[in-house]
Amino acid sequence: MIRFVLRRALAAVPIGVLVTLGVFALVFAMPGDPLRELAGDKPIPAAVLAAKRAQYHLDDPFIVQYLLSMKDILTGHFGTTFAGADIADQLRLRIPVTLKLTLLANAVQWTLGLFFGIYAGFKRNGWVDRSLLLATLVLLAVPGLVAYFAAQYLFGVELKWFPVSGVLEGFPHAYLLPALVIGVLGFAGLARLLRTSIVETVNADFVKTARAKGLGEQRVLWRHILPNALLPVVTFIGLDLAGMFGGAIITESIFNLPGLGQFMFQAIKLKEGGVVVLLSTLAFISFILINLLIDLLYGVLDPRVRNV
Amino acid sequence: MGVALGLALVLASCGDGKSSGSGGGSGSKSEVIAIAADPLEYINPLNENGSPGIQVAMAMFAPLVTTDPETGKLQNVMADSVTPDKTSQTWTIKLKAGNTFQNGQPLTAKDYVDSWNMTAMGSNAWKNNGFFSKVDGYDALNPPTPDGATPKPTAVKALSGLKQIDDLTFSVKLKVPFSQFGLTLQYLGLAPLPEEVRKNPDAYKRKPIGNGPFKLAADWNAGDDIKLAKWDGYKGPLVPQADEITYRFIPNADTAYNEFLAGNVDFVDVPPTKVKSFKTDAPDQWVTSISSGANYLVIPAWDARFKNPKLRHAFSMAIDRKAFADLVGLSEPAKGLVAPDMAGYRDNACKYCDFDAAKAKQLLQEAGGFSGPVNINYNTSSATGQIFAEAIGNMLRQNLGLTVKYTGKQGSEIGELADSRKLDGLRFSGWGHDYPSIEDYLTPMFKSNGDANFAGYANPALDAVLAKGDAEPDPEKAIKLYQQAEDIALEDMPLIPLYTKSNAYLHSAKIEPRVSKFVGVSALWATFK
Repeated sequence: MIRFVLRRALAAVPIGVLVTLGVFALVFAMPGDPLRELAGDKPIPAAVLAAKRAQYHLDDPFIVQYLLSMKDILTGHFGTTFAGADIADQLRLRIPVTLKLTLLANAVQWTLGLFFGIYAGFKRNGWVDRSLLLATLVLLAVPGLVAYFAAQYLFGVELKWFPVSGVLEGFPHAYLLPALVIGVLGFAGLARLLRTSIVETVNADFVKTARAKGLGEQRVLWRHILPNALLPVVTFIGLDLAGMFGGAIITESIFNLPGLGQFMFQAIKLKEGGVVVLLSTLAFISFILINLLIDLLYGVLDPRVRNV
Repeated sequence: MGVALGLALVLASCGDGKSSGSGGGSGSKSEVIAIAADPLEYINPLNENGSPGIQVAMAMFAPLVTTDPETGKLQNVMADSVTPDKTSQTWTIKLKAGNTFQNGQPLTAKDYVDSWNMTAMGSNAWKNNGFFSKVDGYDALNPPTPDGATPKPTAVKALSGLKQIDDLTFSVKLKVPFSQFGLTLQYLGLAPLPEEVRKNPDAYKRKPIGNGPFKLAADWNAGDDIKLAKWDGYKGPLVPQADEITYRFIPNADTAYNEFLAGNVDFVDVPPTKVKSFKTDAPDQWVTSISSGANYLVIPAWDARFKNPKLRHAFSMAIDRKAFADLVGLSEPAKGLVAPDMAGYRDNACKYCDFDAAKAKQLLQEAGGFSGPVNINYNTSSATGQIFAEAIGNMLRQNLGLTVKYTGKQGSEIGELADSRKLDGLRFSGWGHDYPSIEDYLTPMFKSNGDANFAGYANPALDAVLAKGDAEPDPEKAIKLYQQAEDIALEDMPLIPLYTKSNAYLHSAKIEPRVSKFVGVSALWATFK
């Protein structure tokens, strides 16, 4: 198992280089001059421009800029953003915000998804199953932007059940509304996947065998059907979780949650290659780690794919 | 649409996001002002030229002079007198005695001279460095830097044109006479820093020491609202009523608007998306004011096809400005090249701004027509860029029979192309003044190599008239000269005036923002009910 983990970690290094290089190249290729974007149409004195360019290595060739950014990231010298913010401070502030939001949102999504998925899977074609299908179609059709503003207006402005925006009221209150909306918009996919997986498993031979040898219905459900039906769901959840360091850009903006998503958005807006690469690296590392955990968890659920 | 309006708007209509609330009789007067921008990372007026930063600095720092919101006349704040010599080239500034910084140190002429020298030093890379380019000795502090090199501090540390005369008096010698220099001194980006901050500005990024009506009420860490409390040491004039002000940064303007509707903030800008609905969303709780700026179409001087002024006039007269202003919303058709709230504005300045399709066609014919399609560039990061471009395009197509195409690009890319004279066709742009003088429209927009001369226009006759105005000490006569410059620009028409926009703001019932036709809307100076 240790060899497996090491192998995965080593394989991640070249992928990481490719990913960061690719992201940096994309930012670099964006049209427009970053310092000009920062200044708007106001003219910038030549000396000021030269000083800023030198500070952010903007005059260097692409590959030098990339290497300097990577060096800063690997040595922990994050420096400041174009706007003057200390990047290490920003990460300290923003990572907890994003973690709180995504974990809470995922908790909502999984609870709803597992509950409705299992129920619908076992009671096929019942009213819960049918409503679930309808709800899935409706929810998947609602654009996030509309749902977030509508929820903010209804529950924040009109009913005043939740704060409209910001993190002043702390965890969990300030995060509840955005997490609920993300969860409700997202649970349908999980529920449908789980339902289908259960339906397939229920008809498998080993389930028939279990029934034939006279096992109780409850035991068949919880010991034989569910562990097998959960396998694809674990993958789904893993991918979901792994993406969380990307931050929820639109949600964070609308609910004014100062997380990584807003940071990423600002950085892309200003073409701050260094910050974008730093955030991508964070997202990449979390992606690799969580995927590794999922693979190990797979082995626990299904001995056939054990990697030891 | 790449509207420039940086500082100017802040000065002119500081209402961008100040509000006040509380009231309730006996309690202290406090207000929460929403700013729809990313949170500030430092407060230092000398290194700040963005609207949110200047807005917050305005509460904590006081300028030398300011525009009286009642009369529009210049009024002394920290200055006791600002006196030009006969040629308007050397200006003597005398400070009022008895003013101090918020750390108790007396405010002296040395504080101004040293703070300004720091800003003028190119290697410090402070954003208001450019202001001092008019001052004698600027070039010595800003030598050309080779590409890719970091500017080094120069051996010369001080502007030769800046001289301290005594504790409260200093003088500024400019490179050339400039009659409007007194007006420029109201820019808040010239506020002084006390000695301890000057020694180590980075250490004071988040604990500024000002000389204005408010000081920090609590520690201000990254991610916090900015909480300010009244500072008794500020002697006025124009002392705001509020005792406490909180600036809350809400980058999403629609979210800020919802926070207002929920009653959590006292003052907010109406975002473009709510222009149609704000009057019903918050009846009796809105104010509007004309925003000091001009919005126009830029005609590239580097494209020979646009060279004939008659063709430019034809384009101008083919545009139905009333319809276009309605499309923009909260706007009025432009009637000249300067903002309507400026002294010296004439509402009949432009002879070619009335919509007249027949006349336009005739002018186009006299000019020999136009070859090829007209390209209209628009900013893709603006929600309305494409809509506005197509509206103008349709008018040119229908009224002049031209073919039109559209190119969407990032604003910064359009700017870069225009700077290198490679942009094909028309673009939208705008300008707002840094100090309230029509000179601050005409010089940047039309002087050869002016800061906002986006058309690349040059006319020696116009430059000469501007120079005359700059050297004219009598304000009335100076305005007459500047108006001549505007007339020349309208004849040559490097820019086609389009519209002037109003800004709208919402305020809670407990405050009444100050509305002035000279300086716009301000919640910092709101009246508490």
